[in-house]
Amino acid sequence: MVADVVEAVAVTRPRIHVRGAVKSFSGRVVVNVDDLVLGEQPIQGLIGPNGAGKTTLMRMIMHSTPLDRGKVSLLPPGGGEVVLSSLPPHRMARHGVVKSNQVIMDFDKLTVWDSLLLAVAESRYEQPHRVFSEGTVFKRHEDEIRHHLDYFGFSDPTAFAMSAGEKKLLDIVRCLLIKPTFLLLDEPTAGLPEDLVEKVMTVVRDLAAAGTSVVVVEHDLNVIWSLCDEVLFMAEGSVVLRGDPQSIRANRTVVEKYLGEGHV
Amino acid sequence: MTLDWIDAFLISGLFQVAMVIGLGLLLHLQLGLARIANFGVVGFWGLGMYVFGVLYTQVGLPFGEPWLFLACAAAATLVSGAAGLLVGWLISDLDTDGVLVVTLGFATAVQILATTQDDLTGGARGMGGLDFPFDIGKVKDNEFLWLVIMTAVVVAILLYVWRVHRSPYGRLLIAVGGNEPLARSLGKSTFRAKLWLFAVASAGMGLIGAMNGVMARYLDVGQVGVGVTLAAMVGLVLGGTARVWGAVVGVVLTVGLFDIVIQSYLPLPKEWYTQTIPVMREAAFGLTLMLVLLFRPLGILGDMQRDKLMGKIHGR
Repeated sequence: MVADVVEAVAVTRPRIHVRGAVKSFSGRVVVNVDDLVLGEQPIQGLIGPNGAGKTTLMRMIMHSTPLDRGKVSLLPPGGGEVVLSSLPPHRMARHGVVKSNQVIMDFDKLTVWDSLLLAVAESRYEQPHRVFSEGTVFKRHEDEIRHHLDYFGFSDPTAFAMSAGEKKLLDIVRCLLIKPTFLLLDEPTAGLPEDLVEKVMTVVRDLAAAGTSVVVVEHDLNVIWSLCDEVLFMAEGSVVLRGDPQSIRANRTVVEKYLGEGHV
Repeated sequence: MTLDWIDAFLISGLFQVAMVIGLGLLLHLQLGLARIANFGVVGFWGLGMYVFGVLYTQVGLPFGEPWLFLACAAAATLVSGAAGLLVGWLISDLDTDGVLVVTLGFATAVQILATTQDDLTGGARGMGGLDFPFDIGKVKDNEFLWLVIMTAVVVAILLYVWRVHRSPYGRLLIAVGGNEPLARSLGKSTFRAKLWLFAVASAGMGLIGAMNGVMARYLDVGQVGVGVTLAAMVGLVLGGTARVWGAVVGVVLTVGLFDIVIQSYLPLPKEWYTQTIPVMREAAFGLTLMLVLLFRPLGILGDMQRDKLMGKIHGR
């Protein structure tokens, strides 16, 4: 009975199906994924050497890098299919597909509060005639924003995010506030101090436990081994191996191409 | 009420200042918040002015004043807003150079249409027959009241812009200007934001153009020149593109100084007024623009201060 319930929970996760996806830059094939389903496990890690195509694949899923050919679809838990590769980028978030950025991206003129209110504000309040709706948006979302601000310990949320770490964190919190059903994290802990890495990992685990599918690209392999339920190893544009963290960690190909002999 | 304390030149000069402040405030939404440099301000303004003029003098609408004015001004506002939608759609995916070309091209198209459609606009001969929607006595009295009404409209625009800075819509515009791909990734339709921005700002410019038509009472294509855009742009950049009060401060220091102080109170030779002063004005504005961009690119008032604003609105 318990097993049935677990099985039922498992199939309610949203998945992303990548089919025949190819991307080349200057004639060099960077990504060539024949058939890949992401989201079958709560948290999946995507690892591989530099240039393996991890970030490009993430960007192709988000349609911020157009595909040369192929198709990327979202398979919502209730059935059906949403073809992400034909959606404009802003529609991704509305389907719950959200990605944090590998390189630091921020709004220079917006404070931390601004940035988070922007993430949560419903589009009906962002119309030219709704110039008195700030109070409504603030009241609706103040508690959840304060929860994240307190949890991550932003020093002064009415000021601008100054350090690279704070901007990185802000990027992650923006993603969390959108309430993603499928979250892609591209090197989420790069540049963060140890205590914040732990906090980010805790939040990601909680999110996954609540039903969100998470895919993490991360060079800090300790994060991958301790966080992920499944690890996918990418090399030369394709996923060449996938399995539980222990088996990937012990795999000869992974050790030779990526980890090095001393790692195991 | 006697208006001996103010002369007709000053009323005309103050009207120019108020009008350009209004245009500068609307341009501030585009350039200061969304970082879209609209070089076609005169196109939307001129379209509003000519649509108003044609409807007012050529169509023969069955209304008396002030309904005739209101109907024609509403139509001019709507047509300029619709033109803004079209231009907003055209520039939505363009970079700065592309926006420059399209908006300048639009302004040029309006000027050419005003010149060539002379059966409607009077072309180079001009178009007369416009009048105030009221008559309270002498021409000067009417002009003064019209100045007061224009000032009220500009104050309303200023209050709107002030509210935009304190609204989710303003935040979205700043996000579009700051990092459009990031705004899109948060689910924001930057395309729609630009469309609405251009529709609203252009409609406002069209209304101001229609009101200018009433004040001028005679339209000719020479009015639809680059000088209008230049005045709004220079004033805004000098005051500070990112600040609510930037257009007000900048336009008072440029148009106010030139059109009122220099033109009205300096003892300049009379023969200069027809050709020399307009050329000097554009040269002075162009020079001001270059100097400000070189030595104080953020303008007199500097950059926007969202940290102070957020502290004030939502507390520290």
